[in-house]
Amino acid sequence: MAHARFLLWQLIALALLASPFAASAGIIVHPSVEGRSISIASLRNIYTLRQTLWPNRQPIVIYVLPDDHPVHEAFAKETLGLYPYRLRQTWDRLSFSGMAGAPIEVKDENEMRARVRATPGAIGYTSKDTAYDGIKTLRLE
Amino acid sequence: MTASRHSGWNSLLLSVLLAAPPAWAGTDDLAGPRYRIQGFAAQGLIGTTNNRFFGDSRDAASAEFTEAGLHGTWQPLDALRISGQALYRRAGESDEAGLRLDYAQADWQFYQSDVTRFGLRFGKVKLPYGLYNETRDVPFTRSGILLPQSVYVDNSRELLLAAPGAFLHGASVQKYGATDFQIGWVRPAFDSESVEYSFLGNARPGKLEGRGALGARLRWDLPTETTLMLTYADARGEYSPASGDLLAAGKVKFRNTLFTLQQRLDTLTLTAEYGEPRFTLSGFGPWLPDSQRHVQAAYLQGEWRFRPDWELMLRHDVFYRDQDDRNGRQFQAATGLPAHSMFAHDWTLGLRWDATPSLMLRAEYHHVNGTAWLPGPDNPDLINREQHWNMWLLQAAWRF
Repeated sequence: MAHARFLLWQLIALALLASPFAASAGIIVHPSVEGRSISIASLRNIYTLRQTLWPNRQPIVIYVLPDDHPVHEAFAKETLGLYPYRLRQTWDRLSFSGMAGAPIEVKDENEMRARVRATPGAIGYTSKDTAYDGIKTLRLE
Repeated sequence: MTASRHSGWNSLLLSVLLAAPPAWAGTDDLAGPRYRIQGFAAQGLIGTTNNRFFGDSRDAASAEFTEAGLHGTWQPLDALRISGQALYRRAGESDEAGLRLDYAQADWQFYQSDVTRFGLRFGKVKLPYGLYNETRDVPFTRSGILLPQSVYVDNSRELLLAAPGAFLHGASVQKYGATDFQIGWVRPAFDSESVEYSFLGNARPGKLEGRGALGARLRWDLPTETTLMLTYADARGEYSPASGDLLAAGKVKFRNTLFTLQQRLDTLTLTAEYGEPRFTLSGFGPWLPDSQRHVQAAYLQGEWRFRPDWELMLRHDVFYRDQDDRNGRQFQAATGLPAHSMFAHDWTLGLRWDATPSLMLRAEYHHVNGTAWLPGPDNPDLINREQHWNMWLLQAAWRF
């Protein structure tokens, strides 16, 4: 009986580790952004520049780390399910044709946090799912 | 060299664009800049057998393929985006114009919600045409050093690039995927040497001018990583003869429906585009009889990202200048000119290396049967063109 319960806990721990939310980036937004969670579909629409406004019609300001930054690679592949080069293709196609603005690139996670804290409507990501003063962390649904 | 390209408002817009303050000035405030500048520069090296492509490439290496662009965008209001691009391009004898204003448009998004938006863009606008046309001069956005010449003929590129006019556009995201449409009217640019070559068979002393063109495109991105697209274009031009011209004041018409299908499977991208452009000539007199040609243009392309920064591309590209005379025999019998100028089959193998996020190196090999899209200005002698030819290209592209 005790053995079986231990096994069950092991399975739950394993499931938590394997789920994309436990391992991957934390989604951070400016405190002005409404809501506590965001769907993967919305996140994909935002990062592929299809959704440009929050549901309250506030413009979304998107921040990204450089294409070859490990946290960006993890965010793109594990959270969005898109390779960084595909994101870049989409941004290039839309920005060079004048149809949309590409996300704003920051050099590291510190700058990412500073920019998201300072910009109404901002969204970004960090490697750790920890809380920071003046930034809201969104749960992935 | 064309008159319109260097005429008043173009040069004015170009100088305004070049004089704009740099973007990094705007990034000082943490809230994110209202305007941004990005750009690129690329140099190619081309070698060919038997025919020439972009310069003196036959049994030699031509460096006459240079592309550089400075792109700016400014958002004075949330609903208004102004963007433009100054482009420098040199492509052998076919494009010697150097620096030009590629486009300059204002996009007013008059309705926006989180899932739907509608807008109107106007000015010298980018023309929606298939998958690659709007960014065809940005090397990073292409599938190869050269785009498939069947659909994206560099011979008539001026016609497809950008033109003064307006487009209504809309986009929506739903459970079944993302859709967007564009529909608009422009005054197309027929007045370039290469366009005259492809419509009138040669550079002519008179002036071929655009009258009007209707363009529309529907795009549907399905949740299955599939993209479906339908493009329609209908352009008209008129010829004003020079004094002592052999040609009379004729009319040209171009109409095309282009189908696009792309499927993305993990690191693999499969793309196909198919079009049947129709060219009509009328009223040019006995030296250029009335005619209607149904072109057939199609390609199949696979791109494979076998490492995060390496990509392999294989493409088969087919072009027939006349569906009813694919092997060109009727054309040869009627004109005495070589049959192979009526078709082109191109096998392309390409390799891309994104050495850093801002530096891309590419190599490409073409094995071509036919001369249908061979650039006219680089090969003015129709008789001495050869049916079978090969081409290799190298390109280094840098961006900021």
